[in-house]
This record gives sequence, structure tokens and C-alpha cells, in this order.
Amino acid sequence: MKKCTKCGATPVIIHRKASGQILCKECFIESITDKVLKGIRRNKLIEKGDKVAVALSGGKDSVMVLDILNSLYERNIIDLFAITIDEGIEGYREHGVEIAVKNANKLGLDHRIASIKDYFGKTLDEIMTDDCREHGACTYCGVFRRWIINKIAREEGATKIATGHNLDDETQAILMNYLEGNIDNLTRIGAKSEPKSDKFTVKIKPLREIPEKEVALYAIARELDVHFDECPYSRESFRGEVGRFIKELSVNHPTIMFSTLKGFDKIKPAIKKEFSGKKVKIGMCINCGEPASHELCRACLFSKKINNEE
Amino acid sequence: MTITVIYGNEKQTVEIQGNMTIKEVMDTMDISSQTVVVKKNNEIVMEEEIAEDGDIIEVIRVIYGG
Ligand SMILES: [Zn+2]
Ligand SMILES: [Zn+2]
Repeated sequence: MKKCTKCGATPVIIHRKASGQILCKECFIESITDKVLKGIRRNKLIEKGDKVAVALSGGKDSVMVLDILNSLYERNIIDLFAITIDEGIEGYREHGVEIAVKNANKLGLDHRIASIKDYFGKTLDEIMTDDCREHGACTYCGVFRRWIINKIAREEGATKIATGHNLDDETQAILMNYLEGNIDNLTRIGAKSEPKSDKFTVKIKPLREIPEKEVALYAIARELDVHFDECPYSRESFRGEVGRFIKELSVNHPTIMFSTLKGFDKIKPAIKKEFSGKKVKIGMCINCGEPASHELCRACLFSKKINNEE
Repeated sequence: MTITVIYGNEKQTVEIQGNMTIKEVMDTMDISSQTVVVKKNNEIVMEEEIAEDGDIIEVIRVIYGG
């Protein structure tokens, strides 16, 4: 029987092909917690006294972020609360919201729940049944979700918004934007956002260097209450195709995602310097007052269209 | 040799020949071991672990689009 390469114990739960490490449950949890906390310090994601809002979906990634940041909250280093968005996806989202509530309650944290329908008049399902819609589900969902989270974060005085993006998500975004030639988007990928307006709260990605499979393993090893359901709209996107491609490559090349991320982080300053030439002036949306680069912010523009107000 | 595999809402009995790893069992069932976490008799196991007679293998799908 294989033994833990760190402490010698059995049974073991993971063989990290990239490093050769084999770990028991305790050493795995310790190693991954350590890695996340070190990443937070190295990238200066959190400072003492921050009030952090976790965008909590109830999936493994955001529940893991909440679990790890809670250790900083318990040591009085930060203040912490959760925001959950109900997108309105029947047969999928109810379960996630329920689990998000359980997790926030278990840790005794404040929790704000808001729905896309409350703010924009329609559920995501209702938006998607309209044949005249101009975008895919992920576009509407992303724009509305970001708008609501940003607004609530500001209302609650949050200084950071933490999201559950993992290593797979991040390499997917790098590759996808590169393949599409979307250099402007590439310059915005990173562990910590650099908002163009002080009405946008800084966003941080504490799990950015953790492979998705290890996030799942952590959630199960820690016996966290999470759901592993698949969003019914996720298959539609190009992002998904790129994701499948990198995961397939990783089977025979276990370090490929990590090297993609590290390489990108190295060239990013050069890309930024070269391509941040056109400065978009950020003003205020005439409808909602949120930051916008045109008269209307994207959320208000979409909202008008889906509610036939133009 | 017989093992029981629980995958989602399905529970099935699988006949296996000789020593097979969890990964090989997954391969024969067309399940990508990249996208699942496997418990053997209620304990998380690595994919190179050998399946033994009477084992109850619980396969938890954790990644979609993989
Ligand atoms: Zn150990
Ligand atoms: Zn607006």
C-alpha cells in the first residue's frame, strides 16, 4: 500500500503527477490550504482589516473559498460575508442557493441573496426563451451577475470581492482570449483586478493556482456541503470547448495548465504596456448610476432590450 | 470478481477479470477519471488503486465539460 510522501501515513488520496507527491487526506488539506494562503500573501490579495464579500454559488469552488477565508475571519484578520445570485435557472439553481445558505449559516456569516429577476425583471430561463435575444446565456448571466454583486458589495462596504476561479478556469480564459485574438480581455486576466472606477470593488481569485480536480477533492475531503450539478447552459459556450481541449492535453502533460498560467503572468506586463493605449473614459450610466463607458451600462442596455423598452 | 459501482443515481454490479485499477474500471465504463473523485468503501482513493472483490465504488462526477 502506498504511503504519504510527507508523513508516511496510509491511506493516501492523491497522486500529484506533476510533482510526484502522494498525500494522505490530512497532508493534502494542509498542503492546499497552505498554497492558497501563500498565494494570497504573495499576490497581496488581502490586507488586514479588509471586508471580503465571497460570491457564493454553492458550487465547490466558491464554498472552498469561503472555507479558507473563514480561517482568516476567525483569526480576526478580515471581515467576511457572502453574496449569492439566483439567476433563475429551473431545476438547477434552487439547489445551489439552498446549499449556499447552509454554508453561510454554518459559519455564522451575513449572507445577501439577490435574484436577476428582482433587479432586471426576468429570470435567465425567461430571457433564453425569447427568440429575439442577441446573446448566449453566459453573456446575460455574467453581465447581470457582475452588476448585482458589485452593487451589493458597495452597499455593504466590502473592500474585496472573492470569486472561485480555479486554475482550469484561468487557463481556459487565457487560451480562449488568445485564440479569439481578444487582447484587450487578456490584459485584464489576473489574480487581482485593477478597477477603472472607484465604484468597482477589487476582485480577487484565491484559487487561481489550484487545479479544478483538487478543488473538488478538497471539498470532498473536508466534507463540505457543495453541489456538483452542471449548469444546463454551460454546454453552449466556446469556453467549454477550450476547457475540454486543455483538460485532454493535461492527461499526458500534467503541468500544462500551470505553465500556461506562469508564462502568461510573465508576459502580461508587456501586453499591458503595449496594448493599454486607448484609454476608455469611464462615466456614469444615465439609468442606474453604475460606472459605464457609454451612456448606458451593459446591464441596463441588456435590460431594456429583454424587456422590449426600446 | 464482482464489484458494485455507484455512479449518479445508478448502482450496478460489474464483473472484472484479474487485477484492475480504479482507472481501468472507469475506462471500461467510459467514465473519464479526470472528471470524477472516487470513493472505495467510503474512503477517497487514487485512480491507481486496485479494485478488490466485493468493493463498493462510489464515483462522484465533479467536473463537467471535461
Ligand atoms: Zn500525510
Ligand atoms: Zn446602468
